Amino acid sequence: MRISKAGLLVVLAFLAPVLVELRTVLAWVNIELSVLETAIIGGIIIAVILVWAFLPENGDEEGAERDVSNSEL
Amino acid sequence: MSNAYIDKFPAEAKVVKAAFYSSFLALALGGVFGVIQTLHRTDIYRFIDSADYYTVLTAHGVFMVITFTIFFLVGVFTWAVTTSLDRGVEDIRFTWSWVGLMTIGTVMAGVAILAGFVDSIDISASVLFTFYAPLQAHPLFYLGLVLFVVGTWVAGADWFRSWWAWKKENPDARIPLPTFMVLTTMIMWYIATMGVATSILVFLLPWSLGWIETVNPLLTRTLFWFFGHPVVYFWLMPAYLLWYTMLPKFAGGKLFSDPLARVGFVLFLLLSTPVGIHHQYLDPGIAEGFKFIAMTNTMFLLLPSFLTAFTVVASIEHGARQRGGTGYFSWLKSLPWRDPVFAGMALAGLLFAAAGFSGMVNAGMNINYLVHNSLWVVGHFHLTVGTAVALTFMAVSYWFIPQVTGKELWNRSVALIQVVLWFIGMTFMTNSMHRAGLIGMPRRTAEPQYTGFEFETAVGSVGELNAQIALGGVLLTLSLVLFFANIIGTAFGSRSDNLPDNGYAEALSGSDDAPRVLDNLKLWTAIAVVLVIIAYSLPLMSIVDRGGLFGPDITAFPANLESVRFLAFAVEHLGTAALESAGTLAWNTLPEVIR
Repeated sequence: MRISKAGLLVVLAFLAPVLVELRTVLAWVNIELSVLETAIIGGIIIAVILVWAFLPENGDEEGAERDVSNSEL
Repeated sequence: MSNAYIDKFPAEAKVVKAAFYSSFLALALGGVFGVIQTLHRTDIYRFIDSADYYTVLTAHGVFMVITFTIFFLVGVFTWAVTTSLDRGVEDIRFTWSWVGLMTIGTVMAGVAILAGFVDSIDISASVLFTFYAPLQAHPLFYLGLVLFVVGTWVAGADWFRSWWAWKKENPDARIPLPTFMVLTTMIMWYIATMGVATSILVFLLPWSLGWIETVNPLLTRTLFWFFGHPVVYFWLMPAYLLWYTMLPKFAGGKLFSDPLARVGFVLFLLLSTPVGIHHQYLDPGIAEGFKFIAMTNTMFLLLPSFLTAFTVVASIEHGARQRGGTGYFSWLKSLPWRDPVFAGMALAGLLFAAAGFSGMVNAGMNINYLVHNSLWVVGHFHLTVGTAVALTFMAVSYWFIPQVTGKELWNRSVALIQVVLWFIGMTFMTNSMHRAGLIGMPRRTAEPQYTGFEFETAVGSVGELNAQIALGGVLLTLSLVLFFANIIGTAFGSRSDNLPDNGYAEALSGSDDAPRVLDNLKLWTAIAVVLVIIAYSLPLMSIVDRGGLFGPDITAFPANLESVRFLAFAVEHLGTAALESAGTLAWNTLPEVIR
């Protein structure tokens, strides 16, 4: 993993304000998203983050060990 | 045997534990009333009468922002003073006396509020947390508040007593940072509570008892806000204390700068009180010039807030780099996100940044007109006291409760999920509250929708805003359930010797680098008093002059305009004397600073 499980949890939590505010920000440039569309975009971003997080760093397993944050959850 | 707080200070640990458990009880009650009002107001689920909504609102406000916050902070302050001075309290019976006063006060005010739900009891206090006239509560409510506040005053005296005793034994030593923070906060509190004490004892309580027939509502509002804004800092400064002295430790590093922390607290002492009129921008009885002065003072408060943001983030980054973190942003990955204490406090600080931005909108006189008394304000203070303070307090409880009980935390994973859930819930709830406020949706009403009128949202619909508020409220309630499961699980656990040591973060730049004048509490108190006199004497005299002490043309007590002029004369001379003494103090201390 490229990030600890706890770190991943916090990143996903931080996504909540980003997604919630994204809808308002896009409305300024006349892109109006429905709740469903926002949820789908959110789901895609979460999936991308999860794929990134679970990929081994530089193709090896050492990346996971390099993270000094406790990875147990 | 561990080196936890309970091992060194067993008697004080009982006091801190009692204060924390009292605060958690209030948090539980406040949380129940919070979700009831959220679901009722958004029309998602209603099972109370709309007339009872205001009793629910009062209970939520008082239990959360008076009882929960203040009981918790007196526990933190007792820990901070005893730990940093490395001595127990002077007299444990004296310490228990203020715990008792605060508890009796809470019970009295709580009974008065909750009795409002029972028609057969002729007692009610549905006056909201702000409790100024023309809303009137049962005398029991005001008496309860008086006892509670007096309890905090006695608590402050207890901590000053400890400091004075320590100072006798250490005449040349600098005040340890946590104690310095407690003392400056309490001086601010003593000044601030003069307003609410006057409001209750001179006006609201005699009015409620029927001793006087009328009051001047604008005067009671102004006296409330004299206290109402600094009370925000009374909640926040303990959170700042924890961010400055504990968060760097949890991050694995040291406090970036002790002197900057002291400067921040001195500025909060000086600037917290002379700003309350910014809550009254739309009150017609106060001249615009006075409001402009209040706005200017408020903007100065940004300075200690930015100092705090810089120092705390710098300390966290230092911790991350001590843990092997590198790069401009990659060091964030090295922080101990697995630790619920650190994660909760960091997330609380993150949302507090958003609260700062919405607070600037509240503080600006012209933009405030757009959001005044709207749901925007509710969104704002759920980010400040509801997140920066409450989430910090809950997160740090996971460190404190083992320290004062001697028992290990029941479940760290549940604790981590709890703090993250609070962050997400509050994000949903406050975002929609801010947006609802921008379209003019009012606060303090059970029925925000008016017949024949539709709010026009910028994005989405009113239904979506309401659903988002309710979703946030439900997530927050779930978070509270997890919190109490963990606290109860810990309380019923068995004693452990495997506890972290008691202590607080060392500083990279320590107290020796701070000018000694920063520890001159008399000087800062004198300047704080002068600033309050400058900000409030003329507005108060003007309010009394126009509306009378007890309403127009009413002289319930032997008071008249002549006595007001005499009072103005006395205030003016007191102000001059305070300025002179401040000048003398500055004159005496400046050479020391220059040396």
